[in-house]
Amino acid sequence: MKIVTMDPRKCVACGHCENACAFHRTGDYDHRNSAISVNHYPDKSACIPMTCVHCRKAWCMEVCPAAAISRSADTDAVLIDANRCIGCKMCMLACPFGAINFDTEKLTCFKCDLCGGNPKCVQHCFPGALEFESEEAVPLANRNQHDNRLAVMFGRENND
Amino acid sequence: MTEMSRNFSPVNTFCRMCDNHCAITVHRDVSGQISDIESYPDHPWNQGRICSKAGGAVEIVNHPDRLMRPLKKVGSGWKEIDLEQALDEIADRVGDLQSNYGPETMSVWKGEATSFNQQEDLAKRFCRALGTPNYLSVDSLCFCTREIGWSLVYGCWPKPDFRNSRCMILWGANPPAAHPPLTRQILKGRERGATLVVIDPRLSTIARQADIHVKPKPGTDGALAWGLAHQLIANDWYDKDFVKNYTVGFDKVAVYAKDFTPEAVEAQTGVPAQTVIKVAALMHQAGSRVAQYTGNGVEHYENGVNNTRAIAYLDALCGSFDMEGGSLQADGLGQQSLALYEEIPLQQLKRVDGEKFPVLHDFRQECNTMTALDAILTGDPYSLRGMIMTAANPVMTNPNSEKVRKALSALDLFVVRELFMTETAQLADYILPAATFLERTELYTYAAIQSVSMSTRVQSIPGVQDEYQFWHDIAHRMDFGEHFPWEDESVLNEWLLQSTDVDFKDLQNTSKAVQYQAIKHKKWQHRPLTTPSGKVEFASSYLVANGYEEVGEYKAPYYIRSPKPEYPFSLITGARNHLSYHSSYRGVGRFRAEVPGPQVEMHPDDADGSGITDGETVKLSSAIGSIEIPVKIVSRQEIIPGVLQATHGWKEANINVLTHDDILDPIDGFPVQKGVAVKVERIR
Repeated sequence: MKIVTMDPRKCVACGHCENACAFHRTGDYDHRNSAISVNHYPDKSACIPMTCVHCRKAWCMEVCPAAAISRSADTDAVLIDANRCIGCKMCMLACPFGAINFDTEKLTCFKCDLCGGNPKCVQHCFPGALEFESEEAVPLANRNQHDNRLAVMFGRENND
Repeated sequence: MTEMSRNFSPVNTFCRMCDNHCAITVHRDVSGQISDIESYPDHPWNQGRICSKAGGAVEIVNHPDRLMRPLKKVGSGWKEIDLEQALDEIADRVGDLQSNYGPETMSVWKGEATSFNQQEDLAKRFCRALGTPNYLSVDSLCFCTREIGWSLVYGCWPKPDFRNSRCMILWGANPPAAHPPLTRQILKGRERGATLVVIDPRLSTIARQADIHVKPKPGTDGALAWGLAHQLIANDWYDKDFVKNYTVGFDKVAVYAKDFTPEAVEAQTGVPAQTVIKVAALMHQAGSRVAQYTGNGVEHYENGVNNTRAIAYLDALCGSFDMEGGSLQADGLGQQSLALYEEIPLQQLKRVDGEKFPVLHDFRQECNTMTALDAILTGDPYSLRGMIMTAANPVMTNPNSEKVRKALSALDLFVVRELFMTETAQLADYILPAATFLERTELYTYAAIQSVSMSTRVQSIPGVQDEYQFWHDIAHRMDFGEHFPWEDESVLNEWLLQSTDVDFKDLQNTSKAVQYQAIKHKKWQHRPLTTPSGKVEFASSYLVANGYEEVGEYKAPYYIRSPKPEYPFSLITGARNHLSYHSSYRGVGRFRAEVPGPQVEMHPDDADGSGITDGETVKLSSAIGSIEIPVKIVSRQEIIPGVLQATHGWKEANINVLTHDDILDPIDGFPVQKGVAVKVERIR
């Protein structure tokens, strides 16, 4: 399956992903309505994006007493059915990444649904910290970056 | 599919919420109203990405406050009038003013709110055809310093090649807010092993990913650049072949740089000597793959042009000019010229800024706005009585807002074309509704990739003219219609391309780009530069002839040179938010989410020292004026102590009430809008 992959080495916490997600979901740019969230820690020089990674063994799905969480047949995304959700927040507790949020108006939980297979957050990520790619691609970003550094150090450039 | 729904199928075009022209797809609902904007996947500039300003355009285009009918000032109020009547009256009054006071009593002022290059050239064309040399624009305080500073050295402002770079250096630039597509190139370069150096007194958005964040005091960039030059020269780290064969004046630079030891640079800029040494070493290690980019942060100082020249020298010293991974001497599209520079040179007429800024005029053929506003008030060198302004909001963006307001109010005829009722539009005699980018078609050139695209008109609103149609209609009412012969913008676009190899049809109704010339480097090997000497100019005989310094000497900003104890803080204005474009979009709902209102950023130590709490409204004053504004206490890393930052464009707390129109860069007339000496007082 394809998921939204996140690379903190590229994130600048510009917030366009949050704007785009919030707008897609509710029609405003209020970040509380966004399923993706980015934290900026200036003292640690870190920008950390986080959204649902659609775990293969999804604890949120297992803990849900209302059977409101299921896996999409089309995209393999883990989805919350707002009509079945009872707002108990057990999924929020179960998620180790804090990637599930609570809608204080509808009194239900919400999370990333991959926008049905064309995630808005990725479209709005200029830095390239977010990509919509296959699960197997996750380690490639690390490997590529590592290789690039070593290539600069040890490679012999053919600069004509 | 019905005929109706076919008409409202998605349209591929370009965003112009800022000047980056990202390819987008515009969706419309069943009634034809623009309903959503998505990224278009297949354009080499934005590569399938957009920022959330693009989606927000839906709200701008459909906003109930948008101006839709011409307004005429009657007493203290407004009267809606018919478009034809408005154009007739404006043409008559322009004609009357010119026959009574001479052609140069009129001026044209071009802003940023609707578009730039092509629209600027149209405004320049109209101005020339009208017979006045008084073309004014926002370039007087944005862009020109960088363009002129780099061009004095290279004959052009080269484009950084971040993707292939080993060392990327950003000077006072924050691409995530101001040039989003560059962010992608920068992070790609970093992924590929380049080091990112960000030079900014603030922790800007891009500085969050910097390998080295260098924090000079505002306006001391020149000293830092000279310090880096000193390191490159003293350590024999400069490209001797390039310097010997393709530059002039190196000896003078080598002599001037000598004083800028790391310790001297530290004393002047506050940047640790070790950091200067480290950055210079990184540049050396990167070979010719050093990509530099200067932003608006280096402008807005009285030494901006010379600071920019000093920065520009580093490319030549590193041998990175027109090299892969360095900078590109980009070739232009070579489209037909609209500006009538040669056809109507107007040399016999005195410009309203006199001979004060010959370099600005030589490079840009425009007059300095600060000086023009003075002329309105003083009648010196003559009285400027009429102005047509298109999509500019100088009451919010020019320095010394109160004087701007006074000057514009003193005009006999002030015509404004705008999307919304801005603070500036309120001073007009006539306001005409302007077309948004979705109601126009124009050419967009992407110099860094030597490509061109053309936007598509998605909708038309009766009575709302595009820029071309407006100039055309006034020209045809006066006696110079022959200079605006094209039936509409589309015919104009076709004419513009006639001198190029690009086929108009290849650009029609598509969001694709056509590369007009393949990228080639090292063109200096076989083609002289467009500088007077044909070489890279460390020393400029042209500047000497105009009475300026031969090399880009450093001069400390006034707040350091002559500090005043009553104004202990140095204020930066104009850092960008991600959801605004200069003064635009402030009042529109969706855009308010990011920054709900004006604020002045302050270091925690400065706040502690004065007992100020986060969110508290304070009185902020300079020698020019004062405002009340809430304080935002930022984290220790986000700004250097003693420096404040407030973004411009908020009518609730207009920071340009405090900025200087009386201290200008002697070379190009840029005002001091950064490094403003201010004081902060609590309101009891």
